[in-house]
Amino acid sequence: MAVCIAVIAKENYPLYIRSIPTEDELKFHYTVHTSLDVVDEKISAMGKALVDQRELYLGLLYPTEDYKVYGYVTNSKVKFVMVVDSSNTALRDNEIRSMFRKLHNSYTDIMCNPFYNPGDRINSRAFDNMVNSMMMQVC
Amino acid sequence: NSELFTLTYGALVTQLCKDYENDEDVNKQLDKMGYNIGVRLIEDFLARSNVGRCHDFRETADVIAKVAFKMYLGITPSITNWSPGGDEFSLILENNPLVDFVELPDNHSSLIYSNLLCGVLRGALEMVQMAVDVKFVQDTLKGDSVTEIRMKFLRRIEDNLPAGEE
Repeated sequence: MAVCIAVIAKENYPLYIRSIPTEDELKFHYTVHTSLDVVDEKISAMGKALVDQRELYLGLLYPTEDYKVYGYVTNSKVKFVMVVDSSNTALRDNEIRSMFRKLHNSYTDIMCNPFYNPGDRINSRAFDNMVNSMMMQVC
Repeated sequence: NSELFTLTYGALVTQLCKDYENDEDVNKQLDKMGYNIGVRLIEDFLARSNVGRCHDFRETADVIAKVAFKMYLGITPSITNWSPGGDEFSLILENNPLVDFVELPDNHSSLIYSNLLCGVLRGALEMVQMAVDVKFVQDTLKGDSVTEIRMKFLRRIEDNLPAGEE
């Protein structure tokens, strides 16, 4: 259902980017990069707002002609960016939220792996499997 | 809540890996550390569980699986694969609380992550006059479906020399 999923560290470098292989991947990388500006804007706009589960989810960052970009930021300023195909209109807000929640849970599981150093690229098979299950199957 | 315990063990293993570089050395260190824990843990175990002297190896196996593991790790492994002579058996652990969230990286493929457990069992049994050989034959971290520990009774320790610490 998603065409591209990215995990961005607090310093704004990517920890993990995965897109469906049939498309031009570089385009997605640029999209994720530009969406980081929107994320930063939203974070600074939140300011002194209470940080609860709803505030972690940033919602639709910006729509383009082919796809929509959604964002989610954790309390440790790790950002998850998800690009979904616009033609897949059936995706509701709740579904996006639950996908981000799953991503967040998998991310915390990786953090608990003693062999993972925070700040490294994410190399976990479990995380890959979870992301694969969320990506669109284009045959 | 065993997360702190799991994370502490994980930090211990990664630090050992950084210090020793070589998986075999880390395995040996874990075994040694486990041994030192085992020789002390047995006293606590005997005091708390109040089990009497075991008459044979089968009873020992039962006590280890049903009482000791339950008391210290909160799991109850099952006992299988008795050898025909009754001196070897396997403990099957469906889930191992030490390895929650852990994924072994490829450059540590010969690391026996839970080797501390082998040392603990060996040390504890040595203090009750049983020499055993303990090793992992299956490990969920390496892709197997369960974790299997094989324990083999070597001999009864007859001499009364105090057990040395390594």
